[in-house]
Amino acid sequence: MPHILVVDDEFLLAMMLTDILEDEGYEVDTVSNGEAALAAVRKRRPDLVVTDFMMPMMTGLEFAEAVRADAALANLPIILVSGAQGNIARERPELFQAVFDKPYRNSAILEAIANHVATDQE
Amino acid sequence: MQHAHRLTSGIDGLDQILAGGFISGASYIIQGQPGAGKTILSNQIAFAHIAGGGRVLYVTLLSESHERLFQTMDPLAFFDRSQLGAAITYISVFQTLRDEGLDAVVKMLRKETKRQDATLLVFDGLLNARDRADTDFDVKTFVAEVQGQAAFVGCTVLFLTSSSVTDLNPEHTMVDGVIDLTDTLAGVRTVRELQVRKSRGSRALGGLHKFEISDEGISVYPRIESLPARVEASVRAESKLSIGVPGLDAMLGGGLPEGSITLLAGPSGSGKTTLGIHFLSQASDAEPALHFGFFETPDRLRTKAAALGIPLADQEGRVLTIERMPLADNILDKLAHKLLDQVRSLGIKRLFIDGLGGFERAAVHRPRLIEFFACLMDQLRAEGVTTLATWEIRELVGSDVAAPAREISAILDNMILLRLFEEDNQLIRAVSIQKMRDSHFDTSVHAVDFAPNGLMLGGALSARQVPPHPQR
Repeated sequence: MPHILVVDDEFLLAMMLTDILEDEGYEVDTVSNGEAALAAVRKRRPDLVVTDFMMPMMTGLEFAEAVRADAALANLPIILVSGAQGNIARERPELFQAVFDKPYRNSAILEAIANHVATDQE
Repeated sequence: MQHAHRLTSGIDGLDQILAGGFISGASYIIQGQPGAGKTILSNQIAFAHIAGGGRVLYVTLLSESHERLFQTMDPLAFFDRSQLGAAITYISVFQTLRDEGLDAVVKMLRKETKRQDATLLVFDGLLNARDRADTDFDVKTFVAEVQGQAAFVGCTVLFLTSSSVTDLNPEHTMVDGVIDLTDTLAGVRTVRELQVRKSRGSRALGGLHKFEISDEGISVYPRIESLPARVEASVRAESKLSIGVPGLDAMLGGGLPEGSITLLAGPSGSGKTTLGIHFLSQASDAEPALHFGFFETPDRLRTKAAALGIPLADQEGRVLTIERMPLADNILDKLAHKLLDQVRSLGIKRLFIDGLGGFERAAVHRPRLIEFFACLMDQLRAEGVTTLATWEIRELVGSDVAAPAREISAILDNMILLRLFEEDNQLIRAVSIQKMRDSHFDTSVHAVDFAPNGLMLGGALSARQVPPHPQR
């Protein structure tokens, strides 16, 4: 069962995405900021991370930079979901496998997650 | 009192009410029911702060998602998505509060304020924090700690909360100011009002001030009665302005005294607007005029003037400005501010208000009207503008005209009465001067006729024809 980490300070959005992913059969953990996410991926490497941009302690962008700088994690797939900062993230294609603007269609993000998890496990 | 550095709200009326704005580094509570406008107000203040080079940390505890919040703000002129994540950061501390409690939230706010280098912190959802606190003391401590650490780094704090039933909220004792937003029904109209309940270190304008929410965001109209009194403009007491009808100028002892306010009372059809057009026709570069009316559109007023044969200054110039206020859902203080702004910005010397009834209709709380008019007139006197304002008397035809709006006439300088009465099956118009401040005037009643060039004064009516004087 692929393991996914959801990173979002907005509790309801994190819970909704978690429910959707669990319905699809993923194992899901959630944390509420980039710093907690970095600690979590170092403790247990997930198959994929879905992160928000604007968060306390460490933004999604800073989190992705830290992950890419860590040799052990460098190829960890990260999907960014964001409202206003989607374009900032798209300028850094080396950091994110995909960028979604909120509000996004559930089917679209599920498809992207499935693709990257499959590619990663090949 | 030492002059404190201010964080302006970016909303003129609110800055005026707050005696210049929020005090930098101080803490305020903005409270109101859901829908009262707290979120729009605080975001508008936040974006004005950014425009001035500040940085903002916006913290929520609410269930509404930030994206939803942004969508609500999108149509508003002040909102700028390109600043999100740059000069303004929105974070939710819901999970921190739930998992680790208020102490952890305080700690996170301190770290984030520093990390974002924020000069304004907005904390949306103090009520939620209160639900979480075990006793009142916890919230007091929370507010005190957050404002203490913010003040230490010079960061101003706005706590937003849904107002509770009781007026005695414990946290109010801790903050420097409390702003109350209300949203009530008056008849079928919605009335939004703002009140500064507490304002430490500055003298705020008291009472309930009207505000409205439009695509521009929030506009606040300070209550006219609460504006600081102003000194009357120094005018030459002897100087008179022609009303535009020679015979009437003679009755007035030479014209309307400069800087005075004259009530023109009479029933519908008695010639009030026509007399006003005469007054406006005397406008010049040296004496720019403003028509501030509720009835005629600029086109209709000009058509009427042309039909009467009274020449008005053309549309393009600055000699005559015609403003028509729609009668629908007006805000009394908005009308007054609009009038005063126009008079000031255009340097108006001749003002015709047609009529005061338009203000009366906009009043939600009618007992304030006399004080409202008194203060509005004082503001106009301070501008040195000579004002003619109409007041409609209900009785169309008749001799037993009660002195109109006795209280209103008491706060004005002069009063001209126009009347209609029947004499041998003829409708006769008559004009009389009821009072003139510091000036001699003709006390007799004169007939008024419509001539090819507007109104023309007839001779004094004989004793037999004079209708009874209004009761004083």
